[in-house]
This record gives sequence, structure tokens and C-alpha cells, in this order.
Amino acid sequence: MTVFVCLDDRGGMLFNHRRQSRDREQIADMWREVGTRRLLCAPYSQTLFAEGMRQPIFDEDFLSHAEAEDCCFVENKLLSSYVSSIDTLYVYKWNRTYPRDTILDIPLPGDFRLTEMVELAGYSHEMITRERYER
Amino acid sequence: MKRRTTIWLSLLLVLCMLFTTGCIEELGPFGDLPGTEDQTPGGNHDNHTPIPPADPSELRNPGANPNPVDPADLPAYSGDAYVAVRGNMPDFASNELVTTSFEYYSPLDALGRCGYTVACIGRDLMPTEDRGSIGSVKPSGWQTVKYDIVDGKYLYNRCHLIGFQLTGENANRENLITGTRYLNIDGMLDFENMVADYIKETGNHVLYRVTPIFVGNELVARGVEIEAYSVEDGGEGICFHVYSYNVQPGIVIDYANGNSALSGEELPPVNGDEEGGTGDSEEDVRDYVLNTNTEKFHYPTCSSVADMSAENREDYTGTREALIEAGYDPCGRCKP
Repeated sequence: MTVFVCLDDRGGMLFNHRRQSRDREQIADMWREVGTRRLLCAPYSQTLFAEGMRQPIFDEDFLSHAEAEDCCFVENKLLSSYVSSIDTLYVYKWNRTYPRDTILDIPLPGDFRLTEMVELAGYSHEMITRERYER
Repeated sequence: MKRRTTIWLSLLLVLCMLFTTGCIEELGPFGDLPGTEDQTPGGNHDNHTPIPPADPSELRNPGANPNPVDPADLPAYSGDAYVAVRGNMPDFASNELVTTSFEYYSPLDALGRCGYTVACIGRDLMPTEDRGSIGSVKPSGWQTVKYDIVDGKYLYNRCHLIGFQLTGENANRENLITGTRYLNIDGMLDFENMVADYIKETGNHVLYRVTPIFVGNELVARGVEIEAYSVEDGGEGICFHVYSYNVQPGIVIDYANGNSALSGEELPPVNGDEEGGTGDSEEDVRDYVLNTNTEKFHYPTCSSVADMSAENREDYTGTREALIEAGYDPCGRCKP
């Protein structure tokens, strides 16, 4: 499966159970990368997908239910248990530091190799870096 | 007394003595994180508990934190720039959840120290120009001192209580404290970034209150208490309550006056104290009358005191040195 995550400069994902940051341009870019595939995510992510927009499949246990060709947007889930199922990992970097008490739990590059790095202008972030890692 | 719902009171009572450390947890189920499970908007919990909104007719701008932290009740600094306090839930009351932007900066006290600052921050308060110079402000306890082990060399920064990127305040002396580089960057900037980017993205408002925590008559704050809550979404986007330590790893600080030394070395004596002691002797402590407008201090018997307007007068008991360090000048008539 393909997984998308967002990180700050220190690998942080959450603080006090809340995402560190959000940006509508990151969501739009993710949809472009998803293409015609399915996108699954937790109900927690629902506020990022405005009404009228294309909607992902919301499922609390989405990582267990995802199939090989699916895409998963991960904000608040353990990933290390699923690392063997991940073929491609997209990391969006905010290029900022935020408070954090939860960080990505898989090492990068680890068993992956960095195959692409793209900079994109955010809506509320000056510049977001998208990195693609493939097994 | 502020009106709070039973739910909010119960939450505070349960959480008031809980502290979660700022240490890094690897990503795991939310239930693994101590002290804050009940606020999770996602994950294994469904009980994000927002501050319940009050009747709109009862809304008023928030004031001071009703119960600021006491550093003595907090864990000593142990490597994390901040600790979550009170379950990471801010102490805003239901009737303080306003959605109209405002900002408030407390007047300096008799020692020239900042008090609490609070704002309801929206896009309209955020700066549209680059930051200006703040070098003209000398916050209480200010010293210009450099160490090789400090990023940028300078131990002390003029720390905005409410960061410039949030309300665009430049040389506002009611918003600047003497803070270490570590406090400024590791203890405060990350929170300001989180709030600023959330507001830019959503257009929502965030209640944001920063309370510098001084002990006794000390001129340098021991730390700052930061509370934030996103109003329109009931804290789903922004909700935290932390205490950030005004420390610098590898350096010891005398909070009474801002003196400092490398860890393991002796702190320099208090400025002007030939004996080299750091305490105030009993004979140094006496009564003075301050004119908070002219920033002069007088003996209570000085003839100038009778001419002083009541709103500018403040009685003070302490040392002459502390007043001078706070920026007060002795009266030229009574020569205290």
C-alpha cells in the first residue's frame, strides 16, 4: 500500500493528540498523487476534507483493511506494525518546528530509498517538501 | 467567581494535579499517552471534551489565569523545554470563548516586570510587515551576556510573551521578558508556530494567554505558562496548556537579578554588592514610594510624595538596588 504522512522538522506528528499542522495544498497534492486509487484514513482526519470535495473512506481500522493497491493517509496511527505492507511512503515536511509528543515510529530511509523530492507552495506554509520513499 | 459547567469543573478537578512530561513518545495508540487520553479527537477515544460554550450574552474577554502554576509544584527541568500541565487543558472559562479579536498586555509592576498577556488572535491581528527593532527595551533583570555554548552566543533574548508572528507587537515592554535563548526557541517558538499556522489555514480564532512566572521579588521569570484554545472548533485544532522553563542547559542563573555562570562555576555577586553576597540584608530593606509615571522612587517623607497623583503612586518595601535594577531612579530631592 501507499502511505502518506506529515512531519515537522523533528519527525513530529502530533501534540496533545492533535495534528501539528494542516494545509489545504497538501491535501490537494495528495489527491493528485492518489489519482484513481482509493484513499483511506481515520475519522479523525475528516475535518481536512471539506464538504463538496472528493471524500476518502473513513475507517478507524483502515490500516488493517487497506488492500495492496490502496492509499492511506496516516495522522494518528501506529505504523511500525504495517511497515512490511508499505510499498511507497510519501512524507510531507512542513519545514517548521512544532511542539510534539508523538513522532513517526519507523526509521527513514530504513528499508526504503528516497526516489523523489518536490517543493510545493502551501496555503498557510511558505513551502512544503514532499518526499517519496519506495521499497 | 467564574461560571463553569459541572463537566468543566469536574475535568479540572481530576486533571489539576496531573502533569505529563514533554518527553518524546514514539507513535502509538493514544491510550499509551499519559494523562490526556480523554481529550483525544481521534484514535482510540471518542471523548474530546471541549470547553462548553456559554450564553452569548455572558461572554467577556478573558483575564488573568485564575490559578497560575507554582514552579515549586512542577518537576525540575530535566531536559525537556516544557511540560504539559493540568492535563494540557487551558484554564479558559466557558464565558471567555470569544470570537472577536483583541489583545491585552498587563502594565508592568513596581519592579518593572511583565504580567500576563492574553489575546483572541485572528488573522486581523497578525502582522503584515517585518518585525522592527526591539533593542530599546530592557526587560526586568536584563543583562547582555554571551557564552560560547549558547546558540547565537547571547544567553538572554528579549522574549515576546505573545510572539510577533501572532499579534505583530514590536518594542512593547509589556510583552517582553528576559528569557534565555533556550526558552525563546525551544520553549516558546514551536507553540507560536503551531498557533500561527492554524489561524492562517483556518481563519479561526485562538485564545492565547502567556503568564510569566516570577518567584517573590525576582526580576527574571522562572518560566512562562502558555495556554491556547481554538474557539470556533471547540479546541479540536489547538488545545494546550504548558509550562516552559526559563533555563539554559549548561548555565546557572540567579533569577533575582539575571546574573549567570557556567554550570559548576560560581555565580558572580549581585551588582554593586561589595561583599559579594546575593541576599538583601535587613538594613537594606525599607519603605519607598514609587511614582510609576516618572519612574522615580522616594522616601515616604519626601515632599514630592504629597504632590503625586494617586494613580501614579505605589508603595513599595524592598531594596534600593532592586528598584534601580527595575529601571527606577532615585528622587533628586530626597535622595533615597
